[in-house]
Amino acid sequence: MNTVLDKFAQAAQRPYEHVKAWKQERGVKAVGTLPMHFPAEIIHATGALPVIVQEMPDAITSGGGAMYPFFCGYTRSIVDQVTEDQLGFLDAIMFTDHCVQLLSAADVIRISRPETTIHFHQLIASLRQPWSLESSVKTLRELVADLEEVLGVVVTEEALRHSISVFNENRRLIRDLYQMRRTGQIQLRASQMQHIVKSSMVMDKETHNALLRELIASLKTSTAPRSDEVAIFVSGHLCHAPRPEILDLIEDCGATIVDDDLYTGYRYVSTDVDAGIGDPIVALATAYIRKNDNVPCPTRIDPEVDWEEWLLGAVDRCGAQGLVVLLVKFCEPHYFAYPRIKAAFERNEVPHLMIETEHDGVAMENVRTKVESFVEMIKVQRAARAVAA
Amino acid sequence: MSAIITPEQRILGAEPPIAKKANRLQATKLNNQMVNAYWEDLFRAKEEGRLVCWTEGIQLNPILQAADIAWCHGEAAAALLAARKESAAPQAHMETLGYDRELCSYARTHIGCGVMNQSSTVEAQTLLNVDARTLGSRIPAPDMIISAYPFCSTGQQWDNELYRTFGKKVPIFNISMDWVWGNKSSAKYMSGPEFREKVAFLKKQLQDCVRFIEGITGKPYDWDRLSDIMKYTKRAAELRLEAMRLCKARPSPASFFEWTNSIAPVNFLPGGPEIVHYFEQKKAEIESRIAQGIGSVPVEKYRLWWDGIMNWNKIGWLSDKFAGYDACMVAGRYTHMGFWQEPQVIDLRDPLDGMAQNYITCPISISAPQVIEKIIEHCEYYEIDGLILHGARTCRAFSYPQYMIADAVGKRLGLPVAMFEGDMVDETFYKDEVVSSRVEAMLEAIDASRARMR
Ligand code: SF4
Ligand code: SF4
Repeated sequence: MNTVLDKFAQAAQRPYEHVKAWKQERGVKAVGTLPMHFPAEIIHATGALPVIVQEMPDAITSGGGAMYPFFCGYTRSIVDQVTEDQLGFLDAIMFTDHCVQLLSAADVIRISRPETTIHFHQLIASLRQPWSLESSVKTLRELVADLEEVLGVVVTEEALRHSISVFNENRRLIRDLYQMRRTGQIQLRASQMQHIVKSSMVMDKETHNALLRELIASLKTSTAPRSDEVAIFVSGHLCHAPRPEILDLIEDCGATIVDDDLYTGYRYVSTDVDAGIGDPIVALATAYIRKNDNVPCPTRIDPEVDWEEWLLGAVDRCGAQGLVVLLVKFCEPHYFAYPRIKAAFERNEVPHLMIETEHDGVAMENVRTKVESFVEMIKVQRAARAVAA
Repeated sequence: MSAIITPEQRILGAEPPIAKKANRLQATKLNNQMVNAYWEDLFRAKEEGRLVCWTEGIQLNPILQAADIAWCHGEAAAALLAARKESAAPQAHMETLGYDRELCSYARTHIGCGVMNQSSTVEAQTLLNVDARTLGSRIPAPDMIISAYPFCSTGQQWDNELYRTFGKKVPIFNISMDWVWGNKSSAKYMSGPEFREKVAFLKKQLQDCVRFIEGITGKPYDWDRLSDIMKYTKRAAELRLEAMRLCKARPSPASFFEWTNSIAPVNFLPGGPEIVHYFEQKKAEIESRIAQGIGSVPVEKYRLWWDGIMNWNKIGWLSDKFAGYDACMVAGRYTHMGFWQEPQVIDLRDPLDGMAQNYITCPISISAPQVIEKIIEHCEYYEIDGLILHGARTCRAFSYPQYMIADAVGKRLGLPVAMFEGDMVDETFYKDEVVSSRVEAMLEAIDASRARMR
């Protein structure tokens, strides 16, 4: 087993242990952030460790008495983590994203644990207004000032520029891995890719970059064309990682996941911050607005971008023969978007399968049956096309 | 946690409700006439050459009215359909298209109306089984969409879906309403720099929205007319609040259900002398009931608070159900903390600022700590004995703070609560047996606590 991949897996599987050990070793503060578009470069520039609060697989316990069961698994999990005192190691929690369930969870956290510093700086969700950029710049400047006050530090432009370049490198290295995987040069399982991205969300970025470089150097590359497997694109899970078991199951059914737009996946690394823009805050805000062109997010309002059209293109570009949508139960933005994805894929006769995932568990055998028939159906179609050709 | 009573804890021997009817206010008939006239007027808008705007969330209607634009308020349309038992058709269309039942039922119903509207060809109607005579398909298609939703991101997504349902051909104006979270201790209800900043941002967008409207109508906006409309809206809102406050009386002359029946004039009906007259009548009727000692329920043994959005399919039924328990639902978050709830800040010479302040302090726009403080104030003022927490399954914006409300009100006021699930316009989430057992258990907890006090 590759030792670098082991390190990523450990940090991804036990993210908070990793952060606590890092804090102790380095004597730094750790600031938690909530998904989905928080510019963590700003926290990095303060010298603190930015940590994306993760969904944990544990059953909901005391948090169940603070939030209705009809909220998405991520928000119920983070409320449970707070009521179970699992996030006390974070020196503050910051968030910027507008989703009603995320906001609800944050409000519940604040009331359940008044001692938690949890601050919100709302990034405009409507991306094409004449004032969208200006508003984002203003929000991010306020966020910087607030963080300076909360952590008792001064954030210099130089530090911000440095953090941007470290993060850009991290994104680029992970994108390189994606590209090699798409073209079949390397064989990494989807759960391994998830470990790589998820660990990046909680590890020190410079350390992560060094490990990524080591990994890339150590991976055997192949120039042989991709084997005969069924190539799949996986989409969805806007806020947290799908359970690796589901990704493994898909790949164990004869499919290979070659690309994705998952939050704990390509979505997280899709967009660099333009270092050529003089003011680093303007650069971060610009990246936020432009990100939607690279991977559309259904929690944003953008009349010019259609997720379903983008997905059709993305599936085609990576050579996948089908799409698997992993839809988090109760995720309203995704529920709104899904019918259009379904219709577009049906219209274009591209096979697709939707799997609804739940925090409290997914009936894996049912999923297996669905995926097996899906893969089978793609194979039959492919064979039929080959005969016709 | 406070006394959240589950069916298991229910004390055996609870009295089933006896058939009693709530005393309806006469003024409500006037409300119904105005509402009917409004919808009929909207259904005719296209024939009369008027532009139509679809909008939801905040009360943008005065801004549209001043520009002679007819409007369809999405929640109002969904509630109308629910009250007339016509919401199943648009909801079924949405389900056929793959929209999940867990999505906001207002949005599902309203977008469903859009789908029905767009499906006017014979083929489409056969495919979707649409009956063009249904209420939902009579709502005229929009010439513009204005999106302005406080706190709840679902509102923005709802408008986004409408925009796409109409093939992206209808111009949309997206207003972003920031949530006043309170990063600094200076952020208070309607005061502090954070609040002022958010109001200023919203006001600026409202001004830009007016320019968007001018671009569509091709006419300069009539600001004097807006002030005039707001004069009536403000007065109606003041009268409504005064009349509500009178319900501190014992027995309470009107109930929460009566106030839900008076949302339209302060939510989507045109601003004019009619809405002022309506609340004058309502207030006078309430005063007269107080003078005669007439209550909203025949016997008022319990005074309750309704937390959560309304269950529109069930207003009349619920009001009789609680009357049967000798319980008056005196007030509620939905009615008493929203809909031009702070009219005093509206300056008629510059109404946009005060309008923005009202929009940003509606009960789903203020955060839970402020919601709780306001609820406690109301419960003390109206001398409430217990809380009904209606967790609207598909309106998470309204439901999410309810465990915290139950906890805080239980700890600070010692009031028992009954929590149950339901919905605004999707009947299928409501289970009457659960509601009855929880309410009965709560009333028994009130009795038990009274017995201890004696
Ligand atoms: S985007 Fe979906 S998964 Fe994320 S917080 Fe919102 S509802 Fe939950
Ligand atoms: S979920 Fe509730 S607050 Fe959100 S759009 Fe629907 S009705 Fe409005």
